[in-house]
Amino acid sequence: MTFYLKEIARIKEECYSNKVQLKTIIKIRNYINSNFEKELNLDLLSSIHFTSKFHLIRLFKKYYGQTPKQYIIEKRIEQSKKLLKKGIKITDTCFEIGFESPSSFSTLFKSRVGLTPTEFQKKAIFAKSD
Amino acid sequence: MKAKVLSIPVQDQEKALQFYTKKLGFLKKVDMPVGNDSRWLTVVSKEEQDGVEILLEPAPNHFEPAKVFQKALFDAGIPWTQFNSENVQEDYDKFVNLGVEFSVKPTEMGTVKFAILNDTCGNHIQIVEML
Repeated sequence: MTFYLKEIARIKEECYSNKVQLKTIIKIRNYINSNFEKELNLDLLSSIHFTSKFHLIRLFKKYYGQTPKQYIIEKRIEQSKKLLKKGIKITDTCFEIGFESPSSFSTLFKSRVGLTPTEFQKKAIFAKSD
Repeated sequence: MKAKVLSIPVQDQEKALQFYTKKLGFLKKVDMPVGNDSRWLTVVSKEEQDGVEILLEPAPNHFEPAKVFQKALFDAGIPWTQFNSENVQEDYDKFVNLGVEFSVKPTEMGTVKFAILNDTCGNHIQIVEML
């Protein structure tokens, strides 16, 4: 067995031995993946899986290294990039991925991607025609 | 600052280019000579062509410590580089059909599923799917 596989076995034992927690948290992430364009909040996520809000945040952070809120934002930004590349209007993209206001979407997009949605879309369309 | 280039040490740049494009499906992005029979040679993911470029870096041929380091990682089975996959099992099946060798078959560990392939240029590469 290589050094790496021994390390994998150790991590599995030390960090991933609680199967019930793992099952719960994977289900929650799957739920987010299928519903990220809807209004998602901790009350809803915790009620679906019969766990407390604080426990949910702690578990999500433990197994995915991010809070659910950070993950949802990342997921929405990722999806918005796909839509913008397809040429979908910025306002439509914003509502499609679950943001309530185009201006807050633009601000967040700029802070995460380094370009405004308009700049990103122009660049993507230009690259496609290149 | 932006993270734009990630280096993978390779023993043969042309062989690496063939492997990363023909087998793994990356696209060549930049290719220019830099002397000493070396090239500044990068590839990008087909799905994210404006994303991080992978520099196929010939350091093991010109810098002995790089060669030693690469060999030590390889012998220990350590994949220094990993790529994200939407579906590790599907990618594994596809790559096996193309003749890619794996040292670790698709394996679940906690919130991820991973597999490890041999890039034929001195490296183990890990592909990972978040569960």
